[in-house]
Amino acid sequence: MTENIRINNPNVKYTDTHIEAQYCYHTSAVRRDGDTLTVTPSVSELEFRTERRVPRLGVMLVGWGGNNGTTVTAAVLANRLGLTWRTKTGEQKANYYGSLFQSSTVCLGPGPDGKEVNIPFRDLLPMVHPNDIVFDGWDISSMDLGSAMERAEVLDWSLQEKLRPHMSCLRPRASIYIPEFIAANQAGRADNILKGTMAEQVEQIRADIQDFRHSSGVEKVIVLWTANTERFCDLTAGVNDTAKNLLAAIQSGGEVSPSTLFAVASILEGCAYINGSPQNTFVPGAIELAVERNVFIAGDDFKSGQTKIKSVLVDFLISAGIKPTSIVSYNHLGNNDGMNLSAPQQFRSKEISKSNVVDDMVNSNPILYRKGEKPDHCVVIKYVPYVGDSKRAMDEYTSEIMMGGTNTIAMHNTCEDSLLASPIILDLVLLTELCQRVCVRPQGSETFQSFHSVLAILSFMCKAPLIPPGAPLVNAYFRQRACIENIMRACLGLPPQNHMHLEHKLQRGFLPRHDNRIYDNVATKMVLNTSTHTV
Amino acid sequence: MTENIRINNPNVKYTDTHIEAQYCYHTTAVRRDGDTLTVTPSVSELEFRTERHVPRLGVMLVGWGGNNGTTVTAAVLANRLGLTWRTKTGEQKANYYGSLFQSSTVCLGAGPDGKEVNIPFRDLLPMMHPNDIVFDGWDISSMDLGSAMERAEVLDWSLQEKLRPHMSHLRPRASIYIPEFIAANQAGRADNVLKGTMAEQVEQIRADIQDFRHSSGVDKVIVLWTANTERFCDLTAGVNDTAKNLLAAIQSGGEVSPSTLFAVASILEGCAYINGSPQNTFVPGAIELAVERNVFIAGDDFKSGQTKIKSVLVDFLISAGIKPTSIVSYNHLGNNDGMNLSAPQQFRSKEISKSNVVDDMVNSNPILYHNGEKPDHCVVIKYVPYVGDSKRAMDEYTSEIMMGGTNTIAMHNTCEDSLLASPIILDLVLLTELCQRVCVRPQGSETFQSFHSVLAILSFMCKAPLVPPGAPLVNAYFRQRACIENIMRACLGLPPQNHMHLEHKLQRGFLPRHDNRIYDNVATKRVLSNGYHASQQNGVCAHVVKEATIG
Repeated sequence: MTENIRINNPNVKYTDTHIEAQYCYHTSAVRRDGDTLTVTPSVSELEFRTERRVPRLGVMLVGWGGNNGTTVTAAVLANRLGLTWRTKTGEQKANYYGSLFQSSTVCLGPGPDGKEVNIPFRDLLPMVHPNDIVFDGWDISSMDLGSAMERAEVLDWSLQEKLRPHMSCLRPRASIYIPEFIAANQAGRADNILKGTMAEQVEQIRADIQDFRHSSGVEKVIVLWTANTERFCDLTAGVNDTAKNLLAAIQSGGEVSPSTLFAVASILEGCAYINGSPQNTFVPGAIELAVERNVFIAGDDFKSGQTKIKSVLVDFLISAGIKPTSIVSYNHLGNNDGMNLSAPQQFRSKEISKSNVVDDMVNSNPILYRKGEKPDHCVVIKYVPYVGDSKRAMDEYTSEIMMGGTNTIAMHNTCEDSLLASPIILDLVLLTELCQRVCVRPQGSETFQSFHSVLAILSFMCKAPLIPPGAPLVNAYFRQRACIENIMRACLGLPPQNHMHLEHKLQRGFLPRHDNRIYDNVATKMVLNTSTHTV
Repeated sequence: MTENIRINNPNVKYTDTHIEAQYCYHTTAVRRDGDTLTVTPSVSELEFRTERHVPRLGVMLVGWGGNNGTTVTAAVLANRLGLTWRTKTGEQKANYYGSLFQSSTVCLGAGPDGKEVNIPFRDLLPMMHPNDIVFDGWDISSMDLGSAMERAEVLDWSLQEKLRPHMSHLRPRASIYIPEFIAANQAGRADNVLKGTMAEQVEQIRADIQDFRHSSGVDKVIVLWTANTERFCDLTAGVNDTAKNLLAAIQSGGEVSPSTLFAVASILEGCAYINGSPQNTFVPGAIELAVERNVFIAGDDFKSGQTKIKSVLVDFLISAGIKPTSIVSYNHLGNNDGMNLSAPQQFRSKEISKSNVVDDMVNSNPILYHNGEKPDHCVVIKYVPYVGDSKRAMDEYTSEIMMGGTNTIAMHNTCEDSLLASPIILDLVLLTELCQRVCVRPQGSETFQSFHSVLAILSFMCKAPLVPPGAPLVNAYFRQRACIENIMRACLGLPPQNHMHLEHKLQRGFLPRHDNRIYDNVATKRVLSNGYHASQQNGVCAHVVKEATIG
């Protein structure tokens, strides 16, 4: 159900190569004088230009043989091949459920019958279809992807049987392994690792990217880390504080984590780099390098299960004037991620990434929280091999309601980890690829500019969003989603979604003919009997 | 922390009496031709006019002596008197937590330091403060509100002690009692009921409203039903299909429910009427009467606990491309609402009101659901006296995720029923009162018009929103909230919230001076070591350890 969208407006021009849209961007500046807040609205006129041609996209995964790597590769293969397989409840078709772009919809407006027209999110703008992604990658384990898929214990067996011939021929490239950054319990998997100096290993990663690009014929490569969580890296002046120092530290073999080495190699190859784990891959020097080279970076840590719901529920409670006072999150999981996180330093990275997710919502409400006040927030993660990839998240939210009352929500959430993360991996790379084809020219400026290298629009998919300095941090799920939707609408010259339905809320309609769907008082009589409820 | 908001823009004019705002309202029309969807954006220029003078408001509750009625009255008294009381964990202050307008905030924009400025929702426009509401009402039980508060078992005892002198002299007026509409188990409470013909009873309700208006000196009265859930009323041609027939049926004593009689009396008195229970009070004749008389009506059924979260979670799941396939909701409660709902006909009303809450979200996603497909949805309500007002809601959401995987969310929610419903009662009447002071003039039109009599903007607070014919039904929580916020912003000439932060997302800033908070590439160097994340990624973060209570 791919839709072709055409915007019928003189402000939107379709050339052979581009969609060019004139857009009014509204902001307001607020100034406080004593008791009075003065709000000054302003409008910036922007021109959005979106390249229409969708390139052949290659995605290289660090940790390709892990549960996420094998699952996302298998899912794309199964969808591309249109596979179906039997389960005890019937025939199952390959799908992309859980992908924002492939499986959720946005409202374009009402059709001639007055009903809202909802289209797949991916159809708003020309985007790569995930079926067309070519995968490659690295792993410290040499296991082929067919066997790795079996080891992951994620996909139905009957599907694995159909996929194995396609997966077994895929073998991860040798990866960078520095034992001190991941848990000691990973040593047993590390049979596929690069040798040589740090600088030589970075050169090999660059050579791998070039090799993949040439041998596969893709036009664009995006690199994404879905490997083990590393411990945090100390920020040290002279080592990783600037791009120059970071490159020098790589030459001299200083403290640089494998994920930062991959990031540097990708940036030097002009490839966007996305960090799906919690560690601080993006040390200041890495960010500076990306900004200098105009390469996109984004992260950190896939927001797939417990944290995703938390960024919904806490936003809901606070936006309803209810005060969360204690949030306690227990997790247990039995996949390799869980085993790696059972080491204290790696858990610490995860804990930090999960800890700040409610801050923006808490800070937005000075009625409920005085300055500096926060709910108690506690996160526990345990490794329980039996549950495998089927992660359990148990949360208790205690909130204060009116007059000292208490609302307690206890939640038990069975999140199949890799099945939730895989569509998010796809969303991350597809949105990154799209952003590489969008540029903006503010009125009065001669030149178009791209998005900031720190691609904050990807916050939606990240537990601990990386944002440009000075930018507001948003974790609230629906605000993040609205951000993506409204920016993609802007590329089409469409104003933000307003959810007002004002044409239905007044006594008489005011829209021109086709839109005029409200009945006046006389007409009301006719439809009354059909009941205004939808009961 | 009341804020005075001033909009600094030539399109917004403040007169002594009004805020007048010129507003561009954007819509799109979509047309399908084969494979192609053509989207035609259009702009309607509207003038919003909001009366600045806030009247003295009286609220009359049907079911004043019930748990909601006593709790909301007590809460307003306690807040007005600034009461504090001891609990075992310390001193507690009166508050309005759970009220959208009193306790939640909206973002106005960025301050000079680049940080977002959030203000109480109520401060966007001149609104009544709940402390200033004068309450009155009816109840089929004659119990004074002090004793009724004790019967409700909702508020802390030490607070009840302080409130009793203020509550005990409040006595509900006699109410309309037609036994067949509510559960038989309510008969024991019915010692304060009107006599006479149906028409006489309606006249008495009208007289009560007039009496309250005159004796209390309020400028405006809004009537709200927070009494027992009634059984559904049959829609019968000649009885309740038109305003004329409905009025005739009242004269002749046809099948008209007590809640519809209250609605008719209110509408005839020009008072907005809000239905906080699930029954179909608003039969077609009642809606027509409201439209004819230009009186606001709104409903149905407070969205306070389980359904509210459902309208968040299901929206979340579907908007994330995840497919809910089964939603099972068990409830038990032990208050009088629970006792009344233990009768099958009354439960049926509740079940209907709760059953459609996910429809708009399901229908919005044809990728996940083919035409007509819906998740299994089952609602059970049981009466368990022991739990009293502390309702338990247990939900299981099963969803299909990628490649046939399953996500199961089981939730146990302890919802103190009346403490969640009371702030919603306040939000309903305050927003209704505000809407009575807003009018809109489309460009080219000579006259201002008011909102439609069916006040759909109140959908946010309702389980089964009543909307004008042809209007889209929205249950999704955040869309409903955005609707209220953006309409109130429109009254100030402010465009909808866009959540884009585009000024922070490009390589170089583009906003005029005060707003220009993005650093260019050179400046970036200086702040790099300050971290790009909120605060935590700056290495190994001693301060984060303190902030988060780590388990």
